[in-house]
Amino acid sequence: MSKILEIKDLNTSFFTHMGEVKAVRGNSFSMEKGDILGIVGESGSGKSVTALSIMGLIEHPGRIKSGQVIFNGEVISNKSNKEMSNIRGSEISMIFQDPMTSLNPVYTIENLMTEVIIRHQKVSKSEAKRIAIEKLRMVGIPEPEKRISSYPHEFSGGMRQRAMIATALSCNPKLLIADEPTTALDVTIQAQILEILRRLANDLDTSIIIITHDLGVIAETCQNLIVMYGGMIMEQGTVDEIFHSPQHPYTLGLMNSIPKVHKKDKSRLLPIPGSPPDLMNPPKGCPFCPRCKYAMEICKEQMAPRYRIGNTHTSACWLLDAQAPDVEGFKKGCDIDG
Amino acid sequence: MGSYYLRRIISAVMTIVLIATLTFAMMHSIPGGPFVREKAVPDEILKALNEKYNLDAPLYIQYLDYMKGLITFDLGPSYSKIGTSVNDLLEAGFPTSAKIGGMASLLIILIGIPLGIISALKQNKPIDYIVMFMATLGVTVPSFVVATLIIYFFGGKLGWIPTFGLDTWRGYIGPVIALSGYSLSFVSRLTRSSMLEVLRQDYIRTARANGLSEFKVIAKHAVKNALIPVVTYIGPMVAAIMTGSFVIEKIFAVPGMGRYFIESIGNRDYTTIMGMTVFYAIFYIIMILLVDVAYSLIDPRIKLGKE
Amino acid sequence: MADSKFVFLENNTEELEVARPSLTYWQDAWRRLKKHKLAMIGVVVIILVLLFGLVGPMLTPYSYSDQSNDYRNLPPIIEVFEVEEGINLHLSKDYNMFVVANNGELTEKLSLNRAKRDVINKIYYYDLKNGEEIKLDFSYNLLKDKQGYDYDFTIEYKGIEYKYPTGNKFNRSFPFGTDDLGRDILTRVMYGARISLLIAFVATLVNLFIGVIYGSISGYEGGRLDEVMMRIVDIINSVPLTLYVILLMVWFRKSDGLTNIIIALSTVYWVSIARLVRGQMLSIKEQEFVLAAQIIGVPKRKIIARHLIPNAMGPIIVSMAMMIPGAIFTEAFLSFIGLGVSAPQASWGTLANNALPGLVTYPYQLFFPAMAIAITILAFNFLGDGLRDALDPRLRKG
Repeated sequence: MSKILEIKDLNTSFFTHMGEVKAVRGNSFSMEKGDILGIVGESGSGKSVTALSIMGLIEHPGRIKSGQVIFNGEVISNKSNKEMSNIRGSEISMIFQDPMTSLNPVYTIENLMTEVIIRHQKVSKSEAKRIAIEKLRMVGIPEPEKRISSYPHEFSGGMRQRAMIATALSCNPKLLIADEPTTALDVTIQAQILEILRRLANDLDTSIIIITHDLGVIAETCQNLIVMYGGMIMEQGTVDEIFHSPQHPYTLGLMNSIPKVHKKDKSRLLPIPGSPPDLMNPPKGCPFCPRCKYAMEICKEQMAPRYRIGNTHTSACWLLDAQAPDVEGFKKGCDIDG
Repeated sequence: MGSYYLRRIISAVMTIVLIATLTFAMMHSIPGGPFVREKAVPDEILKALNEKYNLDAPLYIQYLDYMKGLITFDLGPSYSKIGTSVNDLLEAGFPTSAKIGGMASLLIILIGIPLGIISALKQNKPIDYIVMFMATLGVTVPSFVVATLIIYFFGGKLGWIPTFGLDTWRGYIGPVIALSGYSLSFVSRLTRSSMLEVLRQDYIRTARANGLSEFKVIAKHAVKNALIPVVTYIGPMVAAIMTGSFVIEKIFAVPGMGRYFIESIGNRDYTTIMGMTVFYAIFYIIMILLVDVAYSLIDPRIKLGKE
Repeated sequence: MADSKFVFLENNTEELEVARPSLTYWQDAWRRLKKHKLAMIGVVVIILVLLFGLVGPMLTPYSYSDQSNDYRNLPPIIEVFEVEEGINLHLSKDYNMFVVANNGELTEKLSLNRAKRDVINKIYYYDLKNGEEIKLDFSYNLLKDKQGYDYDFTIEYKGIEYKYPTGNKFNRSFPFGTDDLGRDILTRVMYGARISLLIAFVATLVNLFIGVIYGSISGYEGGRLDEVMMRIVDIINSVPLTLYVILLMVWFRKSDGLTNIIIALSTVYWVSIARLVRGQMLSIKEQEFVLAAQIIGVPKRKIIARHLIPNAMGPIIVSMAMMIPGAIFTEAFLSFIGLGVSAPQASWGTLANNALPGLVTYPYQLFFPAMAIAITILAFNFLGDGLRDALDPRLRKG
């Protein structure tokens, strides 16, 4: 398998009049073709900014300060906006959180979809319409020939998200980035949308990045997982690895803060105390340190390196260092990666 | 669809009837009647005048007569300009006002909207600051000040344009600029803020994420949405501008509707006041109706909503 | 790396929950308003204008209605002929001769020597206190175009002829100049501030009062009543309001202009506020705390007054700040077409209107009231913009 996407030491900042907001700080990761990668973190953790950086959609006053985005073996982070617009929507697509507001209300679904298809595939109007109808059928919209001439407000939330997905997939992209695709939807609809994403990834051989704050969505859909906090990657690995043996106190906190139906003991949900760091003046050391119950002196001073727990599993936490005190569940004494 | 417009038209007609009634009631409840002056008018003259204009008839008869006249668009005789009907005054004044107003409206639409869009696209750049500075001045300085400044500098000091009258094309420059100043500024501010709001919307990000060119994102996806509030403002504005600005016509001595209106206020010429008010109201309501139509053309959600 | 660094920090997370002080809506809004530079400039200017109108008239030696034939149409910057150390002469456009002190104060109006005046050759003589005589020859005024003189008149003092003014001085006695009746424009602009702002504030408050009550009843009751009330609003909304203010003013004609204008402005512009408040009510009344209040039996009136209106206050204040400049505008406009406050009372609009006939000769008479209007409206616009950014929840960052 080859890498569809590789991020190297990505730094993205927003230069506001109050100062520089360091939204993404030195992230590196990669994903294989056909993979479904989840990025999880609370709001302000830098997950959406990472996605927009890949798309080249960081808007003024933000910009990518350093680092590379390599897509399908080609560096795309230094491309001009015009060059990127050829890739957006055809090679890499993105769908957004709120289907209510993400579709332009004054145009029909047909208009919105065919415009994208014609832009990238240079086909006739009627051919574009045929493709659009086909994609709408694929995402499970009944009677697509009729519904295609509807306006977005005539669709329900779930239908709109399907239409968004259909548009995003209309040019058979190699990579689809879904930013909180189900957050604004009912739980039953959520499951359907996730199912569609999973099926399409399989059928169209599209790799998918799902950005969410909902570990349930990840567990249901993804193979690999990245946990972000304060603009940095805390832990990454396969979903199984991380769910069974989280190696970062933040990941642990995330897991404890979601309810588990099948859990035997009646322990209360444990919210993580405190609030995310101020990215204008991020702490010198680990960004999670002020909220971490295992914080040590070194955490305040220096960000931990990436410790390798297994073949695919890494975590940036000092608890994994050989010198750290023993904590149950944490595999002390791992090697530093790279 | 059809019933939506039908409903709008019926409610527009009702509004016009209401306005006519209200205006009639107001004008007829002014104590003393139209011919009472500071200097006492002899009783027999007063009586003859009242008789002539049917003012001695019971009020409901007068009202019915007036409404009957309204249907045929006969607004009755002027009380102060003997031998002239209100219709004559309208025919004399409205074309002039409408000509100046039409030119001003065009100026506002053709310059105000593009300026607002450019300003929004170049937010916080020099051109934005310049446009917004001018626009802010335009909405803060009252139109009579703008008009007098134009006369003072371009008419008086520089002598480029005549200070009154519409005898040459130069005569139109002053009134048109003074008339459009406020609305031009307002429209460009409104377009700008509406445009900025739209550019923040998720669907703009979607359009970009779908790889559309920046030009298409702006021209197709942003502008149409941004124009919705602008259209709402422009409709009544055109009505107000076309029926003549009292201030501008007074300052530039333009023989338009506004000037006749002011004159009629001074002369207590109640039929003229009434007639002009009703005419203006009809015009205004038609413009609002047109805005509604335009609105439903731009924004498909309107048809569904209950107004 | 020292081992000691790998020791847990004690009580690291204990005080986290209270780490950030929570601000109330108003504290938060005030904090953001303070950051809005233009809005703060607006506030300062509004306070200055208020002081200008309220305190100002007490500090000037004139009243707004004091007339003086001697001091008509004097500009704020006066051209002077310095004929001797400490003696500056100024000739007004009405051919009155004044002695101006070095600091710009008008100390004396010279009397014309009627016996010696020569109307045919346009030569006047004025007597100075020190016994000297001044000869004014203004025949050039008429010849100007024909013979190429670029001055209007000459002054002769102790045998020396002056063709051009020797300098300009700020008018100390009347800093903004005087009008055609010799009234001090500064004092009149100050009184104008009182009238204009009084009208604007009262009209806005009344509109606010009507609009809030109307809107909250309509929004809270809902159903049939709401439909009827909003239908009425729709109809009023399709009436050109400026026209109705004019009709009302015509209708009121007889009595005092100030009261009329306030009533006229107060009764027509509440519609937009009513709409706004209704919209707010509709969304707020669905919230739990209202339900809670209803369940424990709080009377309707109290729920509206205690719970609903305070929660809708943000947008109401914003639209109020935008209404005040609108009212100032409308008042100025009404006064300008002759329907404003009656003389000798003066609003900024009437002052501007009065200045029109003499515009070409005395532009400063229009300049100052117009500036006052523009500055005040600008300040309110700035404040309104700032308030909207600070108070409007739709624009708050999530």
